[in-house]
This record gives sequence, C-alpha cells and structure tokens, in this order.
Amino acid sequence: MIEVEELHFTYPKIKEQTLSGLSFSIPQGEVFGFLGPSGAGKSTTQKILIGVLKNYLGSVKVMGKEIRNTGSEYFERIGVAFEFPNFYSKFTALENLQLFRSLYTGSTAEPRVLLEQVNLTEAANLKVSQLSKGMKMRLNFCRALLNNPQILFLDEPTSGLDPVNAKRLKDLILEKKANGTTVIITTHNMQAAEELCDRVAFIVDGQIKLIDSPRELKLLNGKKRVRLEYRYQNEVRNEEFSLDDIGENKYFLKLIREHPIETIHSLEASLEQIFIDVTGRQLT
Amino acid sequence: MRFRTAFAFDIRFQWRHGFYWIYIIICAFYLVLLHLIPDHYRDQTMLLLTFSDPSALGLILAGGIVLLERDQGIHDPLFVTPFRVREYLLSKASSLSVLSLLAAWVIHVVASGIPQSPIGFSAGIILTSSFMTVLSIGVVARCQTINGFILLSQVFALPFILPLLGYFKVWNSKVFLLLPTEGTLRLLTSGTLSMSLGNFMYSIMILLFWNVVIFAWAKMSFEQHVMKRIGKGGGGK
Repeated sequence: MIEVEELHFTYPKIKEQTLSGLSFSIPQGEVFGFLGPSGAGKSTTQKILIGVLKNYLGSVKVMGKEIRNTGSEYFERIGVAFEFPNFYSKFTALENLQLFRSLYTGSTAEPRVLLEQVNLTEAANLKVSQLSKGMKMRLNFCRALLNNPQILFLDEPTSGLDPVNAKRLKDLILEKKANGTTVIITTHNMQAAEELCDRVAFIVDGQIKLIDSPRELKLLNGKKRVRLEYRYQNEVRNEEFSLDDIGENKYFLKLIREHPIETIHSLEASLEQIFIDVTGRQLT
Repeated sequence: MRFRTAFAFDIRFQWRHGFYWIYIIICAFYLVLLHLIPDHYRDQTMLLLTFSDPSALGLILAGGIVLLERDQGIHDPLFVTPFRVREYLLSKASSLSVLSLLAAWVIHVVASGIPQSPIGFSAGIILTSSFMTVLSIGVVARCQTINGFILLSQVFALPFILPLLGYFKVWNSKVFLLLPTEGTLRLLTSGTLSMSLGNFMYSIMILLFWNVVIFAWAKMSFEQHVMKRIGKGGGGK
C-alpha cells in the first residue's frame, strides 16, 4: 500500500535535512505507528505521505503511484485527522460534516451514522464552538471517515478523550483495519500505540531507528521473568521467577497454591523504555 | 460540482459571520451620503461609492474572511480533501462579487434608478470585485496579522487604482490605460452615460486580463504561504 525508499527532505532556507533516508513499507490493512519526540520528522513524513509536501527526494509510492505526481484524486482515497480538530466554528457539527462530505465525488458515508458511531448524535445540531475538545476530536475522526478512505492518517487520535470515548475510538480504528483500511498513526501515546499498532517505527533526527511490532519489541527487550505478589500472613511479598520451565518450578507452584495471590506480571519491557533505550531520547 | 458547493457555503459563511449586515449598513450610509451631496456632485460621488464597493470592500472583506478561516484553522482539513486552491479562489471571488453586485445595484437604483447599461455596469462590478478579492487573498496569504494585512493590501492595491487620478482630473497618463481600474471606471460610468462598443470591449478585456494575471499570482502566493503550513494546526486549538 505504501512503499518509501531513501526519502530525504529539506525545508527551504534550512541547511539540515529534516528527513535523512527513510525507507519502509506498509501493507494494506496494517495499523502502523510513527513514534518520536517533537521535531523528529514524524509530521514531515506524514505531510509527504498525505501529499502536502511534494519536493522530496527519493521515492514515495502510495497505492502504486508516486505521490509527487498525484492530484486531487488522491484525496478522494485518503482520510486525514490532524491533531488539532479545526472546524467552521459558527456551523453545527452536522453542517461541517455535510460541507466536507460535499467536497468528495466518490461514495461517502452518511454523517449522522458517523456521529452515532462516536456517540455524538446529541451534538449533531450544536455549533462547533459549543463542543468540548473531546467532542471535537471525535468529530475530527468522523470527518476523516467521510469518504470511506483506503488509507487513514491519524495524528494523536486519542488526545483529549476520556477513557470511554478513547476505547470507542480505538475499537472503531480496529474495525476499519478489519475491513482492510490501512491506518497510519502519529502519536506520543505509547499505550495507544501498543493497543492499536501492528508495527511501530521509532523516528529520531529524521531517521528510522527501528521498526517492529510492539509485541515483538516488548518480548525481545524485556526480561523473561514473572513477578509474583502474594500475601504471607499480614504482609505482601514479592518474588521473581524465570519463565523458563515455570510450570515445573516447585517453589513457584507452592507459593501460588498455598498463598493468596495479589498480582502476577510478566516483566516484558514497556514500549516507552524500549524507545528510550534505542533512541537515547524521551518521547516529549 | 465542488465549486458550486464551495460557492454556496461561502455565501452561508458570509451570512453567518454578519458580512451581509456590514454591507447593509454600508449601503445605508452611502445612500444617506448621496442624499446629502449637492446634485452636481452626485454622479461623481455615486461612481466613487460604487467603485469603492467592489474594490475597497472586496479587498478588506476577502482578507478578513481568510484571516477568520485561518484563525479557525480551517485550511488544514480543507486542503486534505479534493478541494483545490483554484476552486477556493474562484468560490471566494464569486461569492463576494455577488455581494458587491447586490450592494452596487441597490445604491445605484435607489440613488439614480436603473443603470443605463445594466450589463456594462454589472460586468464592471463583478470583474472589479473578483480582481480585488483575489488580490486580497494573495496578499493576506503572506500576512500573519490583521495589521500587516491592512498595510500590505494598501501597498499592493494602490498602483492599480491610479486611474482614479485621471477620473478626478488630478493627473492623467496613457499608462493608466494598462490598469484594470481604467476599465472599471469606464464600465461604471455606463451606469449613467451611454458607452461605445469599443470602449466596452476594451474595459472588459483589460479587466479580464488582470483577473487572469492576479489569479495566477494569488494561487502561487496561497500555495507558497498557506499550503506550506498545512498540518501545523492553525488557530482554534
């Protein structure tokens, strides 16, 4: 679906390259996450992929076409939700969706159905200026889905959402993926990336330091151990055990048989810790 | 299809932001002014007012609309749809031209009846309004603040309205024949005086020529200064 080879980009009047030789590919139906600190090149990569910046070097093919040669027809096939949910503030949620819907010539989704999916039915006739940040974020997501896009670009999709609506949005993203939509997510939110992404790329200083699935990364970089928290008389105690042959570890089996267990956790690494270890940078 | 949608939406946008009320107030002010002016100055004053309607108001309102849109951060989501800059410019120019045309007709009809050459008069208003609207968008694309826009728009517009000096017999030059306002003044004069075909054709051609030139420039300016900022969030966070 997306093939990028040796992508270089330099902004006008700036000497240093913003992107220095990025190469990656994203198959159809994958949820792919770009993770990186501010200024790492995530947004620039996204802008190139959505066809806004065209004077890049290298090759960026999306749906088989070099992106610098595409025209308005490309926008019929992609959906973009930027981090900041901007709308015509004096128009209602529904009016905004109807306007954006009318800019597409292909088949489009019914705005009221989209609003219902993100629990905004009640807000359909409210002016956007009356909506909370979380409501605008959900409306932003609806707008990106209007043209039934083949590729969905989401920038910080769960930012400003309460846990219930964040979960609803994540479920909708996974539903889209199940229907074959390719989803590209740019985020600082490691938990969202872990939950949603099939693979993540760590971008730092305009370069991709690593690409892999969150699960593989966590397993490879974590300890193959389990931490057991159990109650012994009136005291809570901790013990760690190797995962190797844990089923035959008599002491472990004795503890879980004879004592009330408070928690059991495998000690795989967190995505955030892996990011720091690999890039030497914090995700801020 | 997209143009029609954008045109209709622009009119709704202008209505909802009170631009039509601004025009109604200005028209009322102009009419009171014309009523107070002595008869022998009335034709010239009316021409000046009908000229300022598409030009000065077009210039200021178009810039104001783009600044308002920028403040709401609307360019980000708008230009990641199939909607293109040329359609955006055409829609703004057309919707503001309609507003200017309505206002100019109201002023003219109330003050001195139906224009002698309705087609010439209307063409003058429409082509001047579209020229000034597109010029304004090309200028505002380069500005970050309203003050910057007001200053820069005057700098850009001033050379184009020099033929006013000729009209008011302050100073005349053959060079004015190359400027769009010369065409505007001739077409607006057709509201009260008859006009030859040659004069009509010249006026339309010079205005069309400048409309094409300014459209190409404004498109480039918008692409260079506004499209490059797509994805940075704009306002309304």
